[in-house]
Amino acid sequence: MFPWIYGFTWTPGNIIFLGIFFSVVAIIGATVLLSFRRALHSIKTNSMESIRWESEFHDLPIAARTCRHEFTGEFKRRTCDNGFDCRSCVTHGNLMKNKATNSDLIEHPIHAFGFTIPIDRLYHRGHTWVKSNATGTYTIGLDDFASRLVGTPEGIELPKPGTRLQVNGSAWSFKKGHTDVRILAPLDGEVVAASDGSEGWYLKVRPLTPSVDTKHLLRDQEIVPWFLREFERLQMKLADPKIGLTLADGGTPVQDFPKAYPDKNWDGIFGEMFLEA
Amino acid sequence: MDKLFIARGVSRTSLKNFIMWIIPWILILIVGVYAVFLCLYEGLNQTNMDNRFAFGLWIYLDLTVIALGAGAFFTGFLLYILKRKELKAVINSAVVIGFICYSGAVGVLMVDVGQPLRAWFTFWHPNVHSMLTEVTFCITCYLGVLAIEYIPIILKNRRIKQISSMLVFEHELHKLVVVLAAVGTFLSFFHQGSLGGLYGVLVGRPFAFRPALGIWPTTFFLFILSAAAVGPCFILLTTTLVSKISRKQLVKPEVLQLLGKISGNLLIVYILLKTIDTIIWINSTSPSLGFTAASFYKYSGFGTWIMFAEIVLCGLIPALMLQNKKLRARTSWLVVAALMACIGIVLNRFVMTIQTLALPTLPFDQFMSYVPSWQEVATFMAVLAYGMLVYSISYRYLTLFPQERELQSM
Repeated sequence: MFPWIYGFTWTPGNIIFLGIFFSVVAIIGATVLLSFRRALHSIKTNSMESIRWESEFHDLPIAARTCRHEFTGEFKRRTCDNGFDCRSCVTHGNLMKNKATNSDLIEHPIHAFGFTIPIDRLYHRGHTWVKSNATGTYTIGLDDFASRLVGTPEGIELPKPGTRLQVNGSAWSFKKGHTDVRILAPLDGEVVAASDGSEGWYLKVRPLTPSVDTKHLLRDQEIVPWFLREFERLQMKLADPKIGLTLADGGTPVQDFPKAYPDKNWDGIFGEMFLEA
Repeated sequence: MDKLFIARGVSRTSLKNFIMWIIPWILILIVGVYAVFLCLYEGLNQTNMDNRFAFGLWIYLDLTVIALGAGAFFTGFLLYILKRKELKAVINSAVVIGFICYSGAVGVLMVDVGQPLRAWFTFWHPNVHSMLTEVTFCITCYLGVLAIEYIPIILKNRRIKQISSMLVFEHELHKLVVVLAAVGTFLSFFHQGSLGGLYGVLVGRPFAFRPALGIWPTTFFLFILSAAAVGPCFILLTTTLVSKISRKQLVKPEVLQLLGKISGNLLIVYILLKTIDTIIWINSTSPSLGFTAASFYKYSGFGTWIMFAEIVLCGLIPALMLQNKKLRARTSWLVVAALMACIGIVLNRFVMTIQTLALPTLPFDQFMSYVPSWQEVATFMAVLAYGMLVYSISYRYLTLFPQERELQSM
């Protein structure tokens, strides 16, 4: 195997064969070492949250990765491959160039499909909303759909003030049954206050930079169709597989879906609706 | 109890049922381990092999599982090098099957060599002119590659990925998986070929000997092609089997059809070349060594039906079936064709290993019969049990079929 080993000869056969062998071993070793080194670098640079999101996102079912421009009819069918980060999406940028944004935010919430949907704020695909405050901070809360999906959780773990949030990283988590569910952060920022009292759960976050890019958040006419799509997805999950899809009976959604459907696979449903693979 | 380890959105049988499923396999494995102990402690006299019949059930098993396990390298090659993204649906399962096949083969080889503690000798003092040396080096390296490819699948377990550092390592390793796929393809090309070349160079065995193309006998190329052709078929079969046992749809039908199509295309090329090779062997190679081809098929149970079954019945016919789009669209036909193709290759490896050694080559030789001892059979069964256990545990706790969740929610 080596020149100093008994029986080794400097023949072309030996040199070619062992040369190839050692090259292969070197490539395999280098691949593992490089992965290890990159992993260490990612840990040092605190990129774990973005890596987690990237990994989770690509493991989500296609139905959970629908492009926002499908809700508004700009595409008949389009799946996002960009981790819902429209800030770096070329297609989104091009589509928004020619689109007038509605600067007159509607003060009164819309009531659709039995949900209360305030339109004066921006929405993240993981069912949180974001509203800017006069103080320069942003309030983050759980939307009505998610509130009903969670119902009454057994435990909530909110971040402590000073915690830094990263878009699509963990904002807070709750426990429902045997399932731990994490809620994704819609913005980068530092938590200045957190509450789970009578006002519901919310976080107050101070952005890390003076200008906050919110291009990745849903707004205006996108919100209601998105709610409808999410409600449809949930109905598909709750439908009895023996019966199939049924028409809605005209009632309003209950306050606590898991309580109303205790036998469903809520672990899977939470994962899919809150974008956790 | 173990729900927290099972991927989100997929359902698995209860832990009790799962334990009941694995207990018989564990028992078979225990018997096999005892047989292995006997072989290592008492020696290879526990087997029915001897100096004349040195390749028996174990080498046959090795050749077969390595051919069937070729789905791992070939699916990886198609997905990562040729960018056939549809195959992402089965790549994890293919890697696990490949790992099981190769680790099982290496495990049996360790027993077969009789003195596994001296196995390092082949690396330390390699005879670079031996096909076996090439096989040993390539299989060892490729098993390492498969083990590394298995790591990201394990690290993606629901609980393990909660540990951020594990997830980050998995992510970074997965990014470089294309390198491993390329290395795996390179290694597989050579060891699959060398396994065939091993027989093709046996000039003293005119039944197996074949003329050289360049520096390699034709069997070198036929083994590569046959393994690549049947690998996707085996993936197709195992996926369907798991789907039937678990009563779940694991992949979209188009994925199975694609596997069938790829296998069909390769199989037709293989059968064409195999037919040409056989015609040349019958008319030229064998007579030039003093034997008529017919003389090899005059022994009871080893008649020309084997050749017919291998090349036509389990070669040409499944190849034609897999070429037909309408037949491919029907899962039952697809599975039948894949099964026939796998049987064809299993038969080919049997012919090359057992029949080659059984046939007399000298005037005073007799046709040798060989029946494996219970220790050999138990070791063989232990590999099967080991495979079933590893695959069952992997299927339960790891994501082997990424489309499963989506298909279950539809």
